[in-house]
Amino acid sequence: MGPVKQRIASEDYVTINVGPSHPAMHGTLRAIAYVSGETVLGTDLEIGYLHRGVEKLGENLTYHQFIPITDRLNYCSAIANNVAYEMAVEKLMGVEVPVKAQLIRIIMTELSRIADHIVLVGILGVDLGAFTPFFYLFIQREEIYEIFEWYNGARLTNTFGRIGGVESDLPEDFETRWHELKKGLEKAIDETDKLLTHNRIWMDRTIGVTPISAEDALSWGFTGPCLRACGVKRDLRKDEPYSLYSQFDFDVPTGKHGDVFDRYMIRMIEMQESMKIIDQAFDLYKQLGPNEPLMAKVPKIIKPPEGEVYHAIESPNGELGFYIKSDGTDKPYRIKIRPPCYMIFQAFDELIQGEMISDLIACLSSLNIIAGELDR
Amino acid sequence: MNEWTIAIIKVVFIWSWTLLIATIMTWVERRGSALIQDRLGPNIAGPFGLFQPLADGIKLFTKEEFAPKHAHKILFTLGPVLFAIQAFSAYAVIPFGDKIVINAKEIVLQVADVNIGFLFVLAVGSLAVYGFVVGGWGSNNKYSLLGGLRATAQLLSYEVPLGLAMLAVCMTYGSFSLREISLDQAGTFLGFLPNWGIFKQPLGFLVFIVAAYAEANRVPFDLPEAESELVAGYHTEYGGMRLGLYLFGEYVNLYTLSALMVTIYFGAWHIPYVDMSSYLGPLAYGIVSFLVFFLKCAFFLWLFVWVRWTIPRFRFDQLMGLGWKSLIPLGLLNLFVTAFLIQITV
Amino acid sequence: MAKPVVQRKYTLGERIYLVEILKGLGLTWKHFIFNFRASLKPGPHTVPTCWQYPWDRREIAPVFRGEHMLSLDEKGREKCIACGMCARVCPAQCITVKKGKVKEGEEEKYAGKFYPASFEIDLLRCIFCGFCEETCPKSAIVLGQGYELAQYEGKECIITKERLINNFKAALDSGNLKPPRKKVPVAGAKEKKSLKSGDKKGSKAQEA
Repeated sequence: MGPVKQRIASEDYVTINVGPSHPAMHGTLRAIAYVSGETVLGTDLEIGYLHRGVEKLGENLTYHQFIPITDRLNYCSAIANNVAYEMAVEKLMGVEVPVKAQLIRIIMTELSRIADHIVLVGILGVDLGAFTPFFYLFIQREEIYEIFEWYNGARLTNTFGRIGGVESDLPEDFETRWHELKKGLEKAIDETDKLLTHNRIWMDRTIGVTPISAEDALSWGFTGPCLRACGVKRDLRKDEPYSLYSQFDFDVPTGKHGDVFDRYMIRMIEMQESMKIIDQAFDLYKQLGPNEPLMAKVPKIIKPPEGEVYHAIESPNGELGFYIKSDGTDKPYRIKIRPPCYMIFQAFDELIQGEMISDLIACLSSLNIIAGELDR
Repeated sequence: MNEWTIAIIKVVFIWSWTLLIATIMTWVERRGSALIQDRLGPNIAGPFGLFQPLADGIKLFTKEEFAPKHAHKILFTLGPVLFAIQAFSAYAVIPFGDKIVINAKEIVLQVADVNIGFLFVLAVGSLAVYGFVVGGWGSNNKYSLLGGLRATAQLLSYEVPLGLAMLAVCMTYGSFSLREISLDQAGTFLGFLPNWGIFKQPLGFLVFIVAAYAEANRVPFDLPEAESELVAGYHTEYGGMRLGLYLFGEYVNLYTLSALMVTIYFGAWHIPYVDMSSYLGPLAYGIVSFLVFFLKCAFFLWLFVWVRWTIPRFRFDQLMGLGWKSLIPLGLLNLFVTAFLIQITV
Repeated sequence: MAKPVVQRKYTLGERIYLVEILKGLGLTWKHFIFNFRASLKPGPHTVPTCWQYPWDRREIAPVFRGEHMLSLDEKGREKCIACGMCARVCPAQCITVKKGKVKEGEEEKYAGKFYPASFEIDLLRCIFCGFCEETCPKSAIVLGQGYELAQYEGKECIITKERLINNFKAALDSGNLKPPRKKVPVAGAKEKKSLKSGDKKGSKAQEA
């Protein structure tokens, strides 16, 4: 019996378990919904079904060995996690990453951002009953994974980059692959748009569903697309530009109401913006010679100086931060991860009160809760 | 052959025919959805995977008849049976061709030409609710129960626009018998249009087809089994042949509704501007009329599949809103306009 | 927490459902026809986006990180010197190496002075990060292209030296050997050459 159940005054409700193994649950989350008819009175949320003790694991692994563990946080965009962690350690060590490595990182991160948004839009469609756009988009996601595979040999858990740079240069056929992918992506996004955006059934299901105001979103600690959907123009790539993002020209789309439709639209637009960034980054990349350094000079065994650091990047889901405390040894003293999902999922109960069961699913999809990142 | 033998042959024929269509439909659904979604679908068993439904059928038949511990034993079995019975019996009054002459004996291609065909279809069709709600209740599962309740409300609500649309057709053709309506649709009206229901009742057809999708529990109205919300809705707990009855029943219902649509709106077995009976012998005419009728049905069956893989699903309140606030007023309007037009033309 | 009220605004076309639904039907029909035509072609790989797995496999990247192998050099000698770097760097701790000293008369079998008396990789623990491959001083351990790793029993997933070498021989025979790792250029290694461009861009990065 959770706190929400006590709050509900009425005795006239039915408890429905949505999760941990439910077809619409993204990973193993559990929402115990108290419903009256179709209306959700409240939900008790249970997390921790995918808790693997990532932060504690970090204390027993070297800085280098922790990179593959970060793959398993938000597995839809593993590269963004890798990069966030590596940048945090580099900040702690005061290492300056070569330009070429930064460009490769940007290209790969943006690709993984597209892949993550594809997952969201596709699954949102599936959860609302539109199965077909999912396939059109996921075929393109497969192409993105192909690029990852030809880059360093893994598709999902990439273990991308190393502390101080990246492990290899872009493959020679990257340019042709990217142009092919770009064409396919544009087509798939366009088709999804045609199938969903102006369809009245879709609009009815998404517009005005689980809206949240900007103040509420800020006070809950929303970041990323979910916050931008409320009309707050906050994007770490623009506001606190890290890496080379200040050199690129891209827009930060914002919504108005913070409802499911806005969250969906923001992702659709962001995919296109990411494509723009990749184009620009690749143009810069092409100007560099083949022997430009890919790694900064870092010792074989990484021993950052004593101290602590927090570094956050704009991951596909929002602000993904790594707080690392070092005691001067080759293993971190403490690693704390600030996943965007965790803050967003807190508000879920508030968002869903008074809405219907179907909206519960739609809302959960649109928030893009990734259990791996939420539970760590 | 006496009347009884003919009747039994017809019953057996239409029963196996609808079952065949239902099994083939499972293949069409899987293959069609796959091709729409850039996949291939089942293509291993037999040519083009055509034996896949057979394999599925064997699997469903040979599976253990498992019932959950807390399920109501009788109701749990009764649900799918009720559903299948209504699905198979609804076709009784719908024609599947004109008539065939064998040994100078004229056989009407329809199991029973009752003069209240419409009412029979509506009455039997609404029995489907029992299948859903009994199965949903008997499963003793909250998802199933919600699915069953959703099905009840949805099917009852959409029966009204369905009935209103059909009523307007009755008024137009002045008969409750589906065979008479079919026969009336030969020839042309206004000089150039085929004398089909769709041209006389365009609005009615729109109301009818939307209501038919809702009656058949198909996307965008598949709320009783909405897999992302209610796991599998009323058949969450079912497996084996009990599930098979639900699945086959659903496709048989699709076929019935398609046949009904063809009968009252798309000129049954008539081809526009062509009078087949004048070119063909009595036996050939019977077969051709059957084929024409079936091809028209096949189009609507395909439409069911096609729409399912294109659009998203309604929410429950929106579904009800559409039914009561849009379709029923439209149906009533259609009824009044039809009545008015009949009044001034007669 | 008050929820903002959102007004739905529809154009006429959106309001009456059918226009958009028909557009959508047109789009799916295009896909259907395209794939239908493609599916009539002979061969397993018909629809361009669909791979019929056992008969029809996608091309695996040469740098793919799959099942491990222990390489031999051109003379057929084992490259591994059992230094244990791979075991130490492995985040999943799935590699066990036992060192053995090369006896006299066995020099044509082993390239170094030491050889792995046993070399076991627990594939159930392995996360295929590729760190072992990267850290190996003799590039002896390599992650190959094998990805069909399902077994009936857990103990079959602990692969021994024999299988690792067999993997290498199979890859050698089929010509799917991984190209040698390119050396990653490190900043500051060739100072004079990279300073010019590196400096300019580096300062930009600092600003950023």
